Amino acid sequence: MRYILSALLTFGAFILVTLITNGNHEVLDPQLYLYMIHNFFEDTDSKNAIAAILLNYRMYDTMFEALILLTAIIGMKQFLPRESDMKAGLEKKNHG
Amino acid sequence: MDNYDSLDDLGEESLVIQLMIGLLYPFMLLFGFYIIVNGHYTPGGGFQGGSVLATLFVARYVVFPVDDTDSEVLHTIQKIFLAFIVLIPMAVLFTEVIHQLPRWQSAYLTLMDILIGVQVGFGLGVAVLRFAFFQGVGKTWHL
Repeated sequence: MRYILSALLTFGAFILVTLITNGNHEVLDPQLYLYMIHNFFEDTDSKNAIAAILLNYRMYDTMFEALILLTAIIGMKQFLPRESDMKAGLEKKNHG
Repeated sequence: MDNYDSLDDLGEESLVIQLMIGLLYPFMLLFGFYIIVNGHYTPGGGFQGGSVLATLFVARYVVFPVDDTDSEVLHTIQKIFLAFIVLIPMAVLFTEVIHQLPRWQSAYLTLMDILIGVQVGFGLGVAVLRFAFFQGVGKTWHL
């Protein structure tokens, strides 16, 4: 029963958020990407607009992407231990 | 199929694969660093070149499936590079120092590409080694 309730709650929240987003018909001027297309070489001295955006305009994105990779590998190390690590852990558990 | 679980079947290594990977190994390294270093001129960059660098670990595992690489060292190097990836933009980009020095823009881009590339390469290398040597030496799958 709890699972059904939480599933209904999640689905309801999903529907609500979708409806709110659908109700928004505001159209913005494409200023930002026009600025990036016309100014990336002067701003960043990069001939590749993608590198300019990744390493200058959206550096936070790149930083946290790299951090996500580190987090994934920490989780992988936690859940896929090597045999030697498992033995060391067992010995520690038995002694302590 | 009698001794499928024994380590004997690891002895049947294909000479063709060994020779071809031995030939291609320096070119894979070169291609990875080419993608990384030319990140701000051509398509590519740190993440893509780092993935190419990570195939070096896969190739080495295919030829020589022995768990003698210390993935802790790789992980430590990855963490150090990640620290630089966070610190260098904080020191140079967010303070807008780099925009006062237009000559150093390319150097900054190349440096960041190299840092990200090595970080991603070592990170994916650790991931591949973890999956390959999960609970034992080469027992999970073999060519």
